[in-house]
Amino acid sequence: MVINVCSVHFQYDPYTYPNDYDLHTGDPKADLAYERQYEQQTYHVIPEVIKNFLQYFHKTISDLIDQKVYELQSNRVSSESIEQKIYEIQDVYENSWNKLTDRFFKNSPWPEAEAIASLVGNGECIGGPTLDQRFESYYNYCNLFNYILNADGPAPLELPNQWLWDIIDEFIYQFQSFSQYRCKTAKKSEEEIEFLRNNPKIWNVHSVLNVLHSLVDKSNINRQLEVYTSGGDPESVAGEYGRHSLYKMLGYFSLVGLLRLHSLLGDYYQAIKVLENIELNKKSMYSRVPECQITTYYYVGFAYLMMRRYQDAIRVFANILLYIQRTRNMFQRSTYKYEMINKQNEQMHGLLAIALTMYPMRIDESIHTQLREKYGDKMLRMQKGDLQVFEEQFSFACPKFLSPVVPNYDNVHPNYHKEPFQQQLKVFAEEVQQQAQLSTIRSFLKLYTTMPVAKLAGFLDMTEQEFRIQLLVFKHKMKNLVWTSGISALDGEFQSASEVDFYIDKDMIHIADTKVARRYGDFFIRQIHKFEELNRTLKKMPASTTTAAAVTTTARAV
Amino acid sequence: MTSSFEQMRANVGKLLRGIDRYNPENLATLERYVETQARENAYDLEANLAVLKLYQFNPAYFQTQVTSQILLKALTNLPHTDFTLCKCMIDQTHQEERPIRQILYLGNLLETCHFQSFWTSLEENRELIDGITGFEDSVRKYTQVKVWMNKYGWTENDEGQIFIFNQEESVKPKNIVEKIDFESECCHRNPSHISHRVFYLFLYLDVKAEYSHTSLIVFLFTGVSSIMATSQ
Repeated sequence: MVINVCSVHFQYDPYTYPNDYDLHTGDPKADLAYERQYEQQTYHVIPEVIKNFLQYFHKTISDLIDQKVYELQSNRVSSESIEQKIYEIQDVYENSWNKLTDRFFKNSPWPEAEAIASLVGNGECIGGPTLDQRFESYYNYCNLFNYILNADGPAPLELPNQWLWDIIDEFIYQFQSFSQYRCKTAKKSEEEIEFLRNNPKIWNVHSVLNVLHSLVDKSNINRQLEVYTSGGDPESVAGEYGRHSLYKMLGYFSLVGLLRLHSLLGDYYQAIKVLENIELNKKSMYSRVPECQITTYYYVGFAYLMMRRYQDAIRVFANILLYIQRTRNMFQRSTYKYEMINKQNEQMHGLLAIALTMYPMRIDESIHTQLREKYGDKMLRMQKGDLQVFEEQFSFACPKFLSPVVPNYDNVHPNYHKEPFQQQLKVFAEEVQQQAQLSTIRSFLKLYTTMPVAKLAGFLDMTEQEFRIQLLVFKHKMKNLVWTSGISALDGEFQSASEVDFYIDKDMIHIADTKVARRYGDFFIRQIHKFEELNRTLKKMPASTTTAAAVTTTARAV
Repeated sequence: MTSSFEQMRANVGKLLRGIDRYNPENLATLERYVETQARENAYDLEANLAVLKLYQFNPAYFQTQVTSQILLKALTNLPHTDFTLCKCMIDQTHQEERPIRQILYLGNLLETCHFQSFWTSLEENRELIDGITGFEDSVRKYTQVKVWMNKYGWTENDEGQIFIFNQEESVKPKNIVEKIDFESECCHRNPSHISHRVFYLFLYLDVKAEYSHTSLIVFLFTGVSSIMATSQ
């Protein structure tokens, strides 16, 4: 079964394409470009996977040199870590290097030293990629995925999970970037527009979907996950390809890729559905790449928010923000990754601020403090019903929505590329407006326990009729679908865990407030830790004084 | 006797698997499926969203009639947010076409609980719901908040206003009791020291005297002495 990922035609069965990587499509311009790619002496476009490889290689060697220097300076003999490093380099050089050379640089030399130097010196591409570069990048990806998917038997590649994630992540990013790029025809030359017009298949949404779905299918990842979560051995259903880490992890990351892609297209239901076999709340062997975890939670949280599942959204955001807080120190490796995670961190705080405004509930104290620091002022304004702040927050924090459709190049108005975003913003704004009165009503409800409906309506400057309607809206909107059990994140039951609840008896409204008892737990946990510290210190002191001091301290604290 | 909906459902299920769901050749089947749902008062959210997605990918195939039916069916599933999900996938231009614009207006009335206005509006546009079997019943169920009130008596007065009775049992002030399982809370902070011991910190505090809870502060703390003992 051959999957040619770059040319998905539904007129023919996509699986009957000729078995080759040769992408001569019959379109002269495309073919020429393809040939050019293999003929040119200096190679300007460096695929991301190569970039990563080079950076990793460079880092490994740097580390080795550093280690060696340190060893020499402290007059120590060769340690095990050096052996390990050498082995790593050998492995990298012999295996991965050769394979990559085979795949990408069969007929041409590796990029010149200058090109590489800029990479490992963290140099960056200025001005954004050109159309040609985007085009060639697309074909490079097609090459790579065709190779992985069409090999007779699993491809003999062992790549780190981090790389595999980067490949998928970057792939979708480039698709996203291209989709935005092609809509902005204002600054393009006639030639470029003509080229775009004649090559609708480049970065076509169907190709991207095809890649992701093929990787999912090839690896049997869904079956593997099903078996894994029920406690069985995934290998039993993995199949010939899925058993290999390369395919299994690409399959898993493709699921997250689909989550992202569907979110970018506004299909929140399908976005969460593709993860139906992944237990989001559990740590698993699949959840070890931090960027993958963060991306997953960001999109799931956002989808929940749009589906008006506020409680779930808050839970998800709070979880991942805690995770980032705890693992922050790990992200020193490469600057651009660190910045990306920072950005997502900020965005998720923004989304959490929105969700908590719509649906106040208790969350972890440390996150709440952070949130108040960053968005305290904005949250106050949102509570007062300032739609503009809502929209600003949304604009900052939302994904970069896009349209899957090739634009009509003859007739593209200047803001065409913003339309997908405008559409999602509109749905969000409508929801905010429907709930506009609820925040105020909530604050009034918290002040009283019983009150005639008419009187409370008066306080709120509403007719009794309108107030009763708003109370219904309150009940309706505060009833969320909440995940309680089961694996699929789509599952849930209706719950109304609002801080404030009420019922109406004829003309009286009876209000029940949720009182939160003071949290003593944290206080005691901190004290326990202090005692332990103290105990440790005391133990180091002369034996005779230790016990006495400890006992005294205990007595005082309690 | 299996209805045509049941028969179609299995077939459609297959079409929605994997990459096939993006194949525009399947649109005709899926559109017929929407029609069947409308006729037989059945519902399949996932299939309907798939239709909207195909319209999104292939704007030339967009059909107002089918989209309208999908939106109306979504309304019958209130209080689920299916209607919102559909809106996210319908192009702005199409949202302004008739009768989609009217349906969106009706949806808004329902979401903001302006039920009287909704029924009035519907009366004036009865042709909108032609062919959607059971539409009014489904919506009525939602407006009567049966979902919320099934345990308690509810009544409707002449104006169709809903009065919520006998909520005393369920709507009560809640007291959040803090219960700490040291295994889970402390583990991530200091796994080595406390994880293998299980402590419970139990605190119960009540402030609403009129509901006749006894004010009771029970304070159980079995921690410090044990820590000291085992550390030696």
